[in-house]
Amino acid sequence: MPQTTIYVSPRSFGRPDARPPAVETTELARLFAGSAALAGVTLRVEGGRSVALLGPNGAGKTTLLRVLATILRSSYGSARVDGLDVVRDADLVRERVAYLSHATGLYDDLTARENLHFAAALLGTEEPAARVERALLDVGLGERADDRVRGFSAGMRRRLALGRILLGRASVVLLDEPYAALDRDGMGLVDRLLAAWKEVGVTVIVASHATDRLTGLLDGTVTLDRGLVTAVSGAGVTSVAPTLGGTRAPAPEAIR
Amino acid sequence: MNGLRTEARVAMAIARKDAVAELRGRHATVSTLFFAAVVLLLFGFALGPDARRLAEAAPGLLWLAIVFAGILAVNRLHLLETDDAALEQLALYPVARRAIYAGKALGGFAVMLVLGVVVLGAVGILFAVDIASAWLPLLSTVILGAMGIAAVGTFYAGVTVRMRAREVMLPLLVLPVLAPLLLGAVRATAAALAGDPFGELGAWLQLLVAFDLIMLMAGAATYGFLLED
Repeated sequence: MPQTTIYVSPRSFGRPDARPPAVETTELARLFAGSAALAGVTLRVEGGRSVALLGPNGAGKTTLLRVLATILRSSYGSARVDGLDVVRDADLVRERVAYLSHATGLYDDLTARENLHFAAALLGTEEPAARVERALLDVGLGERADDRVRGFSAGMRRRLALGRILLGRASVVLLDEPYAALDRDGMGLVDRLLAAWKEVGVTVIVASHATDRLTGLLDGTVTLDRGLVTAVSGAGVTSVAPTLGGTRAPAPEAIR
Repeated sequence: MNGLRTEARVAMAIARKDAVAELRGRHATVSTLFFAAVVLLLFGFALGPDARRLAEAAPGLLWLAIVFAGILAVNRLHLLETDDAALEQLALYPVARRAIYAGKALGGFAVMLVLGVVVLGAVGILFAVDIASAWLPLLSTVILGAMGIAAVGTFYAGVTVRMRAREVMLPLLVLPVLAPLLLGAVRATAAALAGDPFGELGAWLQLLVAFDLIMLMAGAATYGFLLED
């Protein structure tokens, strides 16, 4: 696969000192059938930083990303993206957030190019034709652009979903296991995307088990366990959590 | 104005996407047309060979076939959004929720219109009804009826799309709501076929217009809640 320089549309974030935290959650909790997937997460990620969300299965990583993406509502607490409340200002938050979930949200009966053209129409992408072609090349699907997605492998679908993110102008990118199903080239693509977003000041939060791969690519890490923040490290990310000696967040038992 | 133009563009993009997927996959049209044909034939057999009786029953049979098949069609169009969590992705786009509803309803309307015209033609042939002399009021009735079924069906397909028993639940929810539309469409069709001797066609068409407007506005105002988890 040719290694193109990935095109990420430039963003204007204003003066660095005037930029609100990219993500700010306060005592964020989400219950599923009485069980707490998030049990009081207080977290702050500075704008332009790249942060890994780590933790075992069931730690709450995906739930946190879905609340930030406005797909899930929190049960308690609050979350803000670029200073906007994810519930009250959900429409505005969706203009600022891009989310790659486990599912790709693609249409099987459309080709790769048609899927991206559809996304470009809904994202309001300027010069959509050129941007779609560029995104297809950037994710290594230029030669398969006219093939229906129904015949794509899981890795190819993932690449196309990453290409869809390139069409928008998100200031916060949320990636849930972005390396899943990708081959070595695909993993390299994710690495290059992370670098490209960092270069233009986009905040990236990556939930992943690929800790070795992410070392050196990101600014900081947040470790979750059973819905609570158990550790933070690196630059641009802070948390207040019981295990870190800060303000006490409700334990899972307390909010059930 | 600019916002409305953007919403219209989004709605058209969604409807176009549904149309392309439908033309490729033929998930809705083939199965629903076949279903409508079977419904008409079975009703025809049940009523017997009496041509006059069949002609009298034609308006009711036409709309029962369109409504039953239409519910199937709208459901199929919504199932496109369940592939690989496409509905969730649709909800993530920074667009007005009513534009998403409008797009899905427009796609449903297009399929319903094709269905309605084909079924109308089939009724004309099978039940020996003269549809050519009243084609304009009949076409108007089919357009208004298709719009109403698409408006209601799109909303309730959004309600049931995440349910396991959606194929059962959708008709149960939709059919009672469609009762006024069924009444108006059947009476308008009967009036049109009879040459409108009592001058009632206009009133029934007005009922259909009012039904469509109310359902479209209600659907546009509430569809966004269905996209939330």
